[in-house]
Amino acid sequence: MTQLSETGESRIRGYLYVLERSMRAAVSVQLARDAVREVESHIRERVAESDGTPNERDALEAILTRLGSPGTVARAYSLELLMEEATVSGRILPVMRSLLHSAGTGALSFIIAVTLFCGYTVAAAFIAVAALKPVFPQNVGLWLEDGMPRSFGAQFPAPTGMEPAGGYWVIPIALMIGVTVLMVVHRSARAWIASVRARLSARMP
Amino acid sequence: MTIANWQEQLRRGTLEFAVLLAVAPGRRYGLEILRHLEFTALVLTEGTIYPLLARLERDGLVSAQWVAGEGPRPRKYYRLTAHGRMRVGQMTAEFRAVTARIERLIEAAGGDR
Repeated sequence: MTQLSETGESRIRGYLYVLERSMRAAVSVQLARDAVREVESHIRERVAESDGTPNERDALEAILTRLGSPGTVARAYSLELLMEEATVSGRILPVMRSLLHSAGTGALSFIIAVTLFCGYTVAAAFIAVAALKPVFPQNVGLWLEDGMPRSFGAQFPAPTGMEPAGGYWVIPIALMIGVTVLMVVHRSARAWIASVRARLSARMP
Repeated sequence: MTIANWQEQLRRGTLEFAVLLAVAPGRRYGLEILRHLEFTALVLTEGTIYPLLARLERDGLVSAQWVAGEGPRPRKYYRLTAHGRMRVGQMTAEFRAVTARIERLIEAAGGDR
């Protein structure tokens, strides 16, 4: 069965295509390509081994069944590399990528991932305000209109009839809020990924 | 905990060690590792060995190299690094110590009744 029929070839191509697509949500393009190449090598070796099997379709299905579905293999990569790195190292980028990946594992996961991403955005916004204040002092702060606070943050250009209040006190306050929100959100994200990892791991054959 | 869950935990806990032992004598590619581990029944889904190998490579315990011309397609060969060899030594010692203690407990409990 070294030479497969067109149907057999397209079955393998389909498997590898789904595997690569599933993996790209979790790992880098380079790692996904390398993994697909390795899995293809595995399939071709198994196909060569099954030379003499009368039914090509059954033999190929048996090989792919033993290998596991593309989703199972991709999930295993995510568990072994991405989520482990996220939970062990706790670095922000792997944690965020794991969140993105976990969002596709269920409705609750999706809602939690979106909420946590919103939290990261809020933290980043406060930190950005603190960073921008010394550079654009007239455009950043607590915006007052007729003495009443209307908004907080950076405005370009500065709105007419409003003025930024708070002076340079905005910097430590925004920084403190931003870092606090970031810490709370990041801890929650790590805890959530650890629980997703445990759940997926339990389902892994 | 059911016996199936316990067996699953045991399998998972030893798979990494088994894979490192499989590449300890010399370089092996994925399918060769799977064949080597076949009798252990530790790998239930063949495709999940590759992510494990990728993690071991990332952790610096094994190194990998693509080699062409030895099979129908290029093969990715894995071999232990110095760090991996040290880890295998540590894991072997720990595994032996744990199994010896458990064996004593089994004997104290009256053998495999």
